[in-house]
Amino acid sequence: MGKTIELKTTINKGNLNRKVFWKAFASGMVVLAALLSFMGISGTAYAIPMAGVGNFYVEFDHLAGNGYTFYPKMGESSKEKSTPQGTNLIKDLTIDHLQLYKDFNISGDKWIRVKIAASKPVHISGLQQDASVINADAKFSNLALKEKQSTDWQKQFQQTASTIELNHAKIKTHYLFQEKIMMNGMKVTVERINKPAN
Amino acid sequence: MSVRQWKHERPFTGSLLTLLSGALILWVPLNLIVKAFLPGTASVIGILFGGMILLLGAMALFFPQFSKVFGIIIIFLSILSVIGALGGFLIGTLLGITGGSLMIAWNPSPPLQKEEDQIDAYNGYESAELVEAK
Repeated sequence: MGKTIELKTTINKGNLNRKVFWKAFASGMVVLAALLSFMGISGTAYAIPMAGVGNFYVEFDHLAGNGYTFYPKMGESSKEKSTPQGTNLIKDLTIDHLQLYKDFNISGDKWIRVKIAASKPVHISGLQQDASVINADAKFSNLALKEKQSTDWQKQFQQTASTIELNHAKIKTHYLFQEKIMMNGMKVTVERINKPAN
Repeated sequence: MSVRQWKHERPFTGSLLTLLSGALILWVPLNLIVKAFLPGTASVIGILFGGMILLLGAMALFFPQFSKVFGIIIIFLSILSVIGALGGFLIGTLLGITGGSLMIAWNPSPPLQKEEDQIDAYNGYESAELVEAK
């Protein structure tokens, strides 16, 4: 009688314990939810990058800050790769009745506005704002405008002030970054509008 | 060793999701530094967390025996990355939690019996005590 030799390849398989997986996953989600709700309750969001949003408007009733620097630059907007702008840096500031909005053309003459508003004072540290138009009633202390010898044109002119105060401001902004922002009473709305802001 | 066998001997899916998560978490702070020239504390924290997650995801492929420890650290870092790197717009955090959980739940297979043991098992192995009793 002939002998049959059977060759088998065995794969050394690891296995997955589904019960442990769901336990670990649920624990992770609970901790994440706790962290997010803590951030929500304290109104704190760290390092909010809004790069790429471009050409949006910032409006507020009053701004008080210290450690102000301004210099010109060429930067990106939603329409152009490179457009003339000014960079505003403020170390610490408080803003009353802040409103940020961006208008989108969805089709033909239909527009929508995404608006972020804060009903309570907003505290920011480490602000960088690139803007092309600033309309406001301004007040500075220790204001200095100076020229510097440099081959980089962006470093040839600078404006600095120890404190800055702006009232009834409307700023055409292209880039906004805050190292830390406390936005109590925040409200985000998306609504239809007849025509965009200019 | 075939690719299939290699994949089955380590927490492959968990590692893959973790690598994706690390890449997403890294993307936000790197973008901040490159585009905004803002190498602040937040960006550094984001890069550190994203880099660590990437490294742990890769290490789990080469040291599968430590997958449970790696999994716990990955979940922890993914959640903390919300601060500083926005958790790769939260998608990175969710992928990290899933990848880490898969690593924790992964068990290596029991080691294969040695050839001698297999022969003993085939012939009928008698322990020393049993021989003595006889």
